Amino acid sequence: MIDIFQVNPGLWLILAGVICAFVPKGDLGGWARKALVIGAPIFAGIMITQIYTSQEVLAGKINIGGLELTTLRIDNLSMVWGYLFCLIGVLNGIFGLHEKCRITDSSALIYAGAAIAGVLSGDLLTLFLFWELTAISSVFLIWKGGEHAYAAGIRYLALHVLSGVLLLAGAIMYANANGGDYMFNNIGLDVPGGWLILLAIGIKCGFPFLHMWMQDAYPKASITGTVILSAFTTKMAIYALARGYVGTDILIYIGAVMTCFPVFFALIENDLRRVLSFSLNNQLGFMVCGIGIGTELALNGVVGQVFVHVIFKSLLFMSIGAVMYRVGTAKASELGGLFRSMPFTAIFCLIGAGSIAAFPLLAAFVTKAMIISAVIYEASHGHPGLYVIAGMLLFASAGVMEHSGIKVPYFTFFSHDSGRRVKEAPWNMLVAMGLASALCIFLAFPWGGYQMLYSLMPYDSSGYTPYTVDHVVFQLQLLFAAISAFCVLKKLKLYPAEKRAEILDFDWTYRKLGLGIVRWIGAMWTRLGISMTRLRDRAISGTGRRLYQMFSPAGAMSEDAPSGLAAVLTAAMLILVLIFVYFVR
Amino acid sequence: MTENNTPDTLTKKELEERQNAHPFAVPFLWLGNQKVIDNFIWFPVLGMIAMIALGIVYPQKHPAPWDVVPGSWAIIGFAAYTFIVLCAKPLTALLARDEDYYGEGGLPDPEYSTEHTAHEHGGDHHD
Repeated sequence: MIDIFQVNPGLWLILAGVICAFVPKGDLGGWARKALVIGAPIFAGIMITQIYTSQEVLAGKINIGGLELTTLRIDNLSMVWGYLFCLIGVLNGIFGLHEKCRITDSSALIYAGAAIAGVLSGDLLTLFLFWELTAISSVFLIWKGGEHAYAAGIRYLALHVLSGVLLLAGAIMYANANGGDYMFNNIGLDVPGGWLILLAIGIKCGFPFLHMWMQDAYPKASITGTVILSAFTTKMAIYALARGYVGTDILIYIGAVMTCFPVFFALIENDLRRVLSFSLNNQLGFMVCGIGIGTELALNGVVGQVFVHVIFKSLLFMSIGAVMYRVGTAKASELGGLFRSMPFTAIFCLIGAGSIAAFPLLAAFVTKAMIISAVIYEASHGHPGLYVIAGMLLFASAGVMEHSGIKVPYFTFFSHDSGRRVKEAPWNMLVAMGLASALCIFLAFPWGGYQMLYSLMPYDSSGYTPYTVDHVVFQLQLLFAAISAFCVLKKLKLYPAEKRAEILDFDWTYRKLGLGIVRWIGAMWTRLGISMTRLRDRAISGTGRRLYQMFSPAGAMSEDAPSGLAAVLTAAMLILVLIFVYFVR
Repeated sequence: MTENNTPDTLTKKELEERQNAHPFAVPFLWLGNQKVIDNFIWFPVLGMIAMIALGIVYPQKHPAPWDVVPGSWAIIGFAAYTFIVLCAKPLTALLARDEDYYGEGGLPDPEYSTEHTAHEHGGDHHD
């Protein structure tokens, strides 16, 4: 008998996903699939509750070829990710209820299951297995975006499989240096394989110059697919960083850069799902930076930020997805004035926007400040250089207000009236967005709300109070100033109009430059091959002709030679031999 | 009041707008009024001034070096936002290309999941 308390809860979702793939078509089959999509994450969440007992649980041990794998570990860190992924799995399931797509249902379940199993795995090899499974299962959600998403899906898959390969290589090197121990604990950069594993995580996490897959693939996936994709992969990578690289200094700088550079791309991007993808990258920067700081306050902030970020980012993707479902496009240049037709979606989007911008009483207010406070605290206690990082995070906070706080809701629901009059989003989308909005408000609620969020944090957070007068006042200073700047720039007509365009990113290096170089090398290789063939043919025919001229019956060697000439030649050869022998001896 | 409970004073355009709007949105249609849009700026500006004043009364408990300047966070917010927006023009000139630059059809609207294409394909085509 299988002891279900030894089974990684993510596997139940994977099993449900496999069953989904074989459920027959039709209305009954469709509802059975939807029941699995919503029921499986709930069951997995219950299993986590049953297994976790406030102490670290190590279970599901398997011995394969002499390697002992710990397929299940639930502690105060992985538990948060486990619950979060189950929660968002349910919300995504509700959001996608209208979509009668077996592939989406099946891959969404396997993908979510792999992410849950990954964060609940105890060793690096189990992590690698589910790391790769997230990539393979999620690519179908991208391909569901249509034919034009195919190439983006291939690029996504290539990068993520590469990430898995790097993780495996790093894990083997790490384990070899640790007497064959594959347990996933703190790794750091000073051990063999440390850099490889960090690079693997960096790809999934969207480090600068490794981030392009996110903005390439997410806006091309299906509407439901984008919502699902935004929740799992990157947060799984954040978990891996929080598990293996706490206090690694380089992450502070990487995170700070991650918060700033997407702001500029998001500003000039027209497609709102891509804007949100850049915004996702920016938010991950705050988390990476917090992990780099590595103090208890910073790590609490990271965990809290991950939790609320998954919810409000899904909410924003859902609201733009609902608009896209009704209007048929997510391009800002084609939208505007939709609050008249989709008022509930507009309200939910505003709640998501306010949450990501960290308005008081909304989600990120109670978490993001923990990370910035931790940076400022460290800066004032012997690391003054970190004030620069704190400044970058504040700059990025104003940037968040620009792209997610203002741009997304403004150009979709307000701005100029596009004249589009559509129906409000389907009921299931409204329910999912409503629940996410309620969570955004509840988790920042001063009386019992944020305290519940803080109780999930890995370290004691009773010493931190988010609702102090100075915090509220200074945060509102930043946000009101940013909105004022927007209004002033609009009045002065300095705010750029939305234009349909492809904005070049670092992926240009391989999609254009790299491809161009490969094509050039291919063309040169072909031309070189032709030239070499011609040269070889010419050399062979030339040699043959000369040999024929020399040795054929009509050739030079067949001609009669005078005896006097033969004697001279023989004498000359004799002299040459004598000279040679004289000097060689 | 007319039969459908709309005021008689409304213009034809306003009536049409009401009829086309979602019932829940009708009380909020003033948000699209040009005067409201033009004067919206006063809300954040007054809010910012109030917060700067409050910031002087209630300074940061753990101040950063820039917090010695009154309204420092407002200055950072305004300056950062303005800088970001003003970067748009050169960045667009540098990075913007035609939508089909990569030859993959730009950023398309998905064929699946949208009701428009679902109807074209018979609604339930992708089960």
